[in-house]
Amino acid sequence: MMETGRKTGLSRLFSPRWSTESHTGTVVVLVVMIILQTLVLGFDYDSVGHWFSAWGRNWINILRNNAAIGIIALGMTFVIITGGIDLAVGSTLVAIGAASMMMIDIGPKGFLGNLGVTGPFAYAITIICAILMGLILGALTGLLITKGRIAPFVATLGTMKILRSVTQHFMQGYNPRVPRDFLQISNLQVGGLMFMPIIYWLAIAAVLIYVSQRTVFGRQVIAVGSNERAAQLSGVNVDRVKVGAYALTGILVAIASIIQVARIGTMDFANAGSGYEMDAIAAAVVGGTSMRGGRGTIIGTVLGMLIIAVMNNLLNLFGVPPFLREAAKGLIVIAAVLFQRKDNV
Amino acid sequence: MISMKNIWKSFGSNQVLKDVSITINSGEICALIGENGAGKSTLMNILGGVLPADSGTIYLKGQPVQFANPAESLRAGIAFIHQELNLVNDLPVFENMFLGREIRRRGGTLDLETMMAKTEDLFKRMNIDLDPRAMVRDLDASYKQIVEICRAILMDASIIIMDEPTTSLTEPEIKRVFQMMETLRDQGVGIIFISHKLNEVMEICERYMVLRDGELVAEGQVQDVTPDALARFMVGHDVRSEQLSRVMQIGNEILRVENLSHKHAFRNVSFAVRRGEILGFTGLLGDGRSELFQAIFGADAVASGKVFLDGKEVRIHSTEQALELGIGYLPRNRKENGIIKDMNIFENATIVTWPMYSKRGVIDKTRQEAIFARQREQMGIRMQRLTDNISTLSGGNQQKIVLAKWLAARPKVLILDNPTQGVDVGAKEEIYDVILALAEEGMAIIVLSSEAQEIIRLCDRALVMYQGHIQGEVSGSTMNEHDIMKLATGGILNAG
Ligand SMILES: Nc1ncnc2c1ncn2[C@@H]1O[C@H](COP(=O)(O)OP(=O)(O)OP(=O)(O)O)[C@@H](O)[C@H]1O
Ligand SMILES: [Mg+2]
Repeated sequence: MMETGRKTGLSRLFSPRWSTESHTGTVVVLVVMIILQTLVLGFDYDSVGHWFSAWGRNWINILRNNAAIGIIALGMTFVIITGGIDLAVGSTLVAIGAASMMMIDIGPKGFLGNLGVTGPFAYAITIICAILMGLILGALTGLLITKGRIAPFVATLGTMKILRSVTQHFMQGYNPRVPRDFLQISNLQVGGLMFMPIIYWLAIAAVLIYVSQRTVFGRQVIAVGSNERAAQLSGVNVDRVKVGAYALTGILVAIASIIQVARIGTMDFANAGSGYEMDAIAAAVVGGTSMRGGRGTIIGTVLGMLIIAVMNNLLNLFGVPPFLREAAKGLIVIAAVLFQRKDNV
Repeated sequence: MISMKNIWKSFGSNQVLKDVSITINSGEICALIGENGAGKSTLMNILGGVLPADSGTIYLKGQPVQFANPAESLRAGIAFIHQELNLVNDLPVFENMFLGREIRRRGGTLDLETMMAKTEDLFKRMNIDLDPRAMVRDLDASYKQIVEICRAILMDASIIIMDEPTTSLTEPEIKRVFQMMETLRDQGVGIIFISHKLNEVMEICERYMVLRDGELVAEGQVQDVTPDALARFMVGHDVRSEQLSRVMQIGNEILRVENLSHKHAFRNVSFAVRRGEILGFTGLLGDGRSELFQAIFGADAVASGKVFLDGKEVRIHSTEQALELGIGYLPRNRKENGIIKDMNIFENATIVTWPMYSKRGVIDKTRQEAIFARQREQMGIRMQRLTDNISTLSGGNQQKIVLAKWLAARPKVLILDNPTQGVDVGAKEEIYDVILALAEEGMAIIVLSSEAQEIIRLCDRALVMYQGHIQGEVSGSTMNEHDIMKLATGGILNAG
């Protein structure tokens, strides 16, 4: 009711009443990249319909390939806004993936199978357990950081190593087989298109946009990251907010893990999820989240993830050698931070 | 010596300075006064190179000059001590003293020994009891203020701007700052002194300039005016200065503290406060009163002792729990403890009540807007949009926002630590009225203040702390500054 003037057009569309952040820069960069990508893709088709369907399929591929990291990045955003960091997301993804696969394994060692539970009921139990596991692992990380007073970087570096190595040890020579139906979670086709992961990602993003803008928790996250002492002296339970952010990330990692398991039905326990922490951080930072805490939005992170994804696609289309693509990712993160610094002064 | 001519400045549609012209001479202390949001800090920011003027010129010794940034202004001999202090918390005092003008050895390494020695020397000369090696983080606000002033002295400034330097200081420290100012004046330095405490203006300044709504409305010699006249210039009408009158309806005891002790900040503190009572706590810097109430509020741990609320013993582990039990604490040091710089005005004004006015975790914004609209009116908060960042408000208006968030919570016991820090004379009276009204409704109010006058005018009785314990009590109409000072410095009052 009070606010009128200045903000117009795009930035108004993306700047909600509660937030003072604007995403104009990010949106512009994304639009430019999409135009570029469209041009590179070319118009060498016999009809508009064909062109559009090729364009659309390319997009569905991009989004589906990035859905899991995109979901993790949403949680990472909350964590970074509190002034923390979670390096363990990749390892947590593997640990939860391994546990879920052991539960629904249709081989002789399958946990639920041996209990005589199969089919959709088994899938539901598996998903619930995965989410609980993510919640518990995240909450424990949060407790380590708040009650244990260990710096987030160090605490999650520790859990990152522990989870990966324990998972690899126990999964040695064990190749669980995931039931075919379970794969429908990620691979369900509608009209020949596979877009379920995209729907999960966007639905979760929508919920979290609401959470971050409208709920007590969402706003307290900002307060804690911006001025922890002032937040505490305003009656905010700082420790609980921080634990909440890590627990939320744990839940999102669990969901990402299920999506991954259901995509290909197997997991490389040594390598799956590695580097996800950096990609998630990159998405948040490109989207305007400050590593010093206190600043950042969920919309920004979705946009940031899209920018990185489209850029990967562009590099691919340009035929840039794979090893150099990481360098481009590095450059865009640095550019984003420089750009924001200029913006904020 | 230095003058600003026809200065205009606006922020968006908000015209903040309208054709202001001022002059500051060498060897004089000149007061710049005005209501919250009148434009004092903005004018000084222009002089200090922090902000550009929309139009107007600065003349230094008759020559027009332009300052593109604070460094240029400093090079021209203008040192600016900001309302919100600007020290690096993670560096020791002596390194802060030379920030941006470090002394280097040949080869470029920092000459820490010389910086250290110079700082020590200056502190000795100025009679300041402070270890140059102390980390700024560990200093109380008043010492930070002193460090800032010393830094200006070290820089050989010919003009020193002091934006509300005394708000968090107590009487002896104010005296010390005044002594420093007088010494500097006698050495030919020109000082611009911004303060809302008119008695300070009367005491230390030769000349005054009054800004109202961005215009220079009065200036002259301090010896020719009374404090009441100054107040009238500032707000445009008379400001009440007599005793506050109130209907006292003191009820049951609500908060009782027994033998509360802390690792180092306070020990063996016992007191009780009743519904409808306004209890003061005062003392010198380092008396432990802020630490005491932050501990009672659950923000810090206590070593031993008991707290009773409504007769029942409570163990408060978090500020959230304290809030739920009905205890509120408005902190001192707005910048560090009160303001959340990444949030907008509305959020800063409502953060405390988010959990109260929410449904299933979703904040009820409409309800809070209504409450805030009323407060905005009541306290005369000068602002533009609710969604503007908190840092766009003037210092005094930021303080009103911090106060508003606690008033909205309506706790049973409200602890106010230095509540009128940086608030102008008129608004101060309005805040006093709000406090009195709350007490009449039965709220127990504890006011922590270093201003004896505030304690005397507002409180029914007051406890004076000295080095972490309660040294004595003053009460009723016999309260006076002399007794308070005596207790605050460790003396005792004669019975009878
Ligand atoms: N960065 C800014 N952006 C927008 N408006 C601003 C900004 N800084 C100051 N203002 C506005 O300019 C006006 C004057 O503010 P200023 O800080 O100069 O007041 P002041 O006289 O120093 O008050 P106080 O006694 O409360 O410190 C206020 O209305 C304030 O809201
Ligand atoms: Mg000011």
